Amino acid sequence: MFWHNFSYSLKSNVRDKQLIFWTLAFPVILGSLFGLAFSNLSGTDVFDTIQIGIVNTQAYQADTAFQTTLSTASKSDNTASKSDNTASDPLFAVTQYASQEEAAKALTDGNISGYIMEDSTLHLYIRSSGLNQTIMKEFTDWYLQESSAVRSIVTQNPSSASEISGILSKNITYISETKSNTNAPNDMLTYYYALIAMACMYGSFLGMKQVMTVQANQTPTGARIHLAPLNKLKIFASSLCAATLIQYISILILIGYLAFVLKIDFGNQLGYILLASFAGCCTGVSFGAMVGALSKKGEGVKTGIIISLSMLMSFLAGLMVAQVKYEAVKSLPILAYINPANLIADSFYALYYYNTYGRFFTNVGFLFGFSLLFYFIVFLVMRRQNYASL
Amino acid sequence: MIVKVSNLVKRYGDLIALDHFKLDVAEGEIFGLLGPNGSGKTTAINCILSLLTFDKGEIEVFDKKMTPSSYDLKKDIGVIMQNVAVIEELTVYENIDFFCGLYVPDKEIRKKLVKEAIDFVGLGDFTKFYPKKLSGGLLRRLNIACGIAHKPRLIIMDEPTVAVDPQSRNNILEGIVRLNREGATVIYTSHYMEEVEQICTRIGIMDKGRIVAMGTNEELKGMIRVGEKISIEFLTADPKDYVEFVESMPYIAAVEVQDRTMLIKTERGHNGLSTILTELQTKNIKVGRVYCELPTLNDVFLEITGKELRDGKEK
Repeated sequence: MFWHNFSYSLKSNVRDKQLIFWTLAFPVILGSLFGLAFSNLSGTDVFDTIQIGIVNTQAYQADTAFQTTLSTASKSDNTASKSDNTASDPLFAVTQYASQEEAAKALTDGNISGYIMEDSTLHLYIRSSGLNQTIMKEFTDWYLQESSAVRSIVTQNPSSASEISGILSKNITYISETKSNTNAPNDMLTYYYALIAMACMYGSFLGMKQVMTVQANQTPTGARIHLAPLNKLKIFASSLCAATLIQYISILILIGYLAFVLKIDFGNQLGYILLASFAGCCTGVSFGAMVGALSKKGEGVKTGIIISLSMLMSFLAGLMVAQVKYEAVKSLPILAYINPANLIADSFYALYYYNTYGRFFTNVGFLFGFSLLFYFIVFLVMRRQNYASL
Repeated sequence: MIVKVSNLVKRYGDLIALDHFKLDVAEGEIFGLLGPNGSGKTTAINCILSLLTFDKGEIEVFDKKMTPSSYDLKKDIGVIMQNVAVIEELTVYENIDFFCGLYVPDKEIRKKLVKEAIDFVGLGDFTKFYPKKLSGGLLRRLNIACGIAHKPRLIIMDEPTVAVDPQSRNNILEGIVRLNREGATVIYTSHYMEEVEQICTRIGIMDKGRIVAMGTNEELKGMIRVGEKISIEFLTADPKDYVEFVESMPYIAAVEVQDRTMLIKTERGHNGLSTILTELQTKNIKVGRVYCELPTLNDVFLEITGKELRDGKEK
């Protein structure tokens, strides 16, 4: 009996074009639109070495400290190991000019972002404002401030010159950055993870349909099933299994599309990705079943409720604006745990960024917990076997 | 008894939908349940099927108490709902197989039953069609096939011919008689008097939540005042001038005039046609077309339930 109903539920749900559109086609289309919108954004974050000019004045030739500093800023940072992929490009590429006129011409021609001319102090010449110009300004200001401080100390205590030189050369940093994973941060992923969360929550349509199909006070088909010599909860259970399977396959197709067509990086922990997807599907389907069971209104009203709530949850999980995810949780920390869409998106996020699984399993645990809660509510509504009115 | 209902009371808030409703249906009957809108027919059916809760009374099916979990009883009941209850995404064959499968787990036996049901309703050419591609009549036939494929002993049909063309209706009615001949007991609710008159072996008329008359077709006709309905066309005189004259004759129950035609109803058990024609001849009145008919179930229904319009919605 289980397989009989399961197989026919599979057939009828797969053939329901409207259902398949919302659970599969719509997320894929939205993912494609995200792909188009974000295709050029990640490139803007790439840092290029700044082309800077220096006028070879007598003061510059005499200032070995500045020459050394500039030379250091023009070298690649090779202190990081190549294995962790963090070796950086040099800050500056320095070109020397014999006169200020030559440097000014190079600036006008756009060959350099700015040039420095030293006499009694450093002068920075630029033609426009921007990131490169700001960095050059910060650099020269920093140098003037540091050199002034050193001069002042040495004037007051000449014996400390060698000690200061040692401290400056070591460039001690007291705060170190520790990466929790080898994956580079990517804000775009928040959108795709929220998209998967939305798709999971759209499994609610499947859950709602299964409830309506077996409820005698909601559809004529429900009345017919109710009259069969079987416990309708058993029929409902097999229908839910079919619905969850369809939703799971839809989500895997979506993830496959994002990973292999749009080249979205989900990391390489396939087993955990499958687990998070399954937890998300269970939550989505059970949520729809609960809405279907609790509301006595027609299919249109229930669909409206599901779309509204799913979109709200997905919005708070960062579907439209990634920053909302963080702001929402910052303002109301409990949202991180009571918003199923956030739990789904955060499961993928935790898998991608963290080496430990504490956060991942917390999220997945909450998702399965919500599924059980939703199904318990459905059970309470559906356990009655006849109705006061139809 | 196949169905026995005693003192059934069902309330919707302040509205009493079933007021000490009683019903006995014996094996082999086609029992017709007639009643105006809101009389409680569908409520009664839904209570018998344990779809609805009720406030008081007892319901027995196959001599056992009927409850929502009486699965041993339910397996022998087939229901054809007022609304078409099929799954849009399954074909004709799949729909019948799916619903039959809820009663008959064995695949091989079910295959045979589904084929028989398809042949029975004449949907052999449409097995791969989806419901939305079927006409209203074919859809009704599919609805019937889904309800009877498992060969139930008791079939309950709640207005199965609503919005069906005459050919399909005739096909459905013939099918019900065939099912009955094959051994099924049928409870049939309808608004259509001629259908009930045509197929039902016993009829109950419901009004305001209770059975107000019950019996065979002939027994019901014997319960009303009207004996014959006579229609006489006047050729040489105005029938309005002779209304009092005809009313004064013996055993005349009522006289009406429509244009040049006089409509006369005689009292139950009396034939007045020859007397009326003889008397009119004495007045030198020439008559044209003359009809005389016995009362129909419609007359019985209207006399028992009254002629006022019923706009109450059937629950």
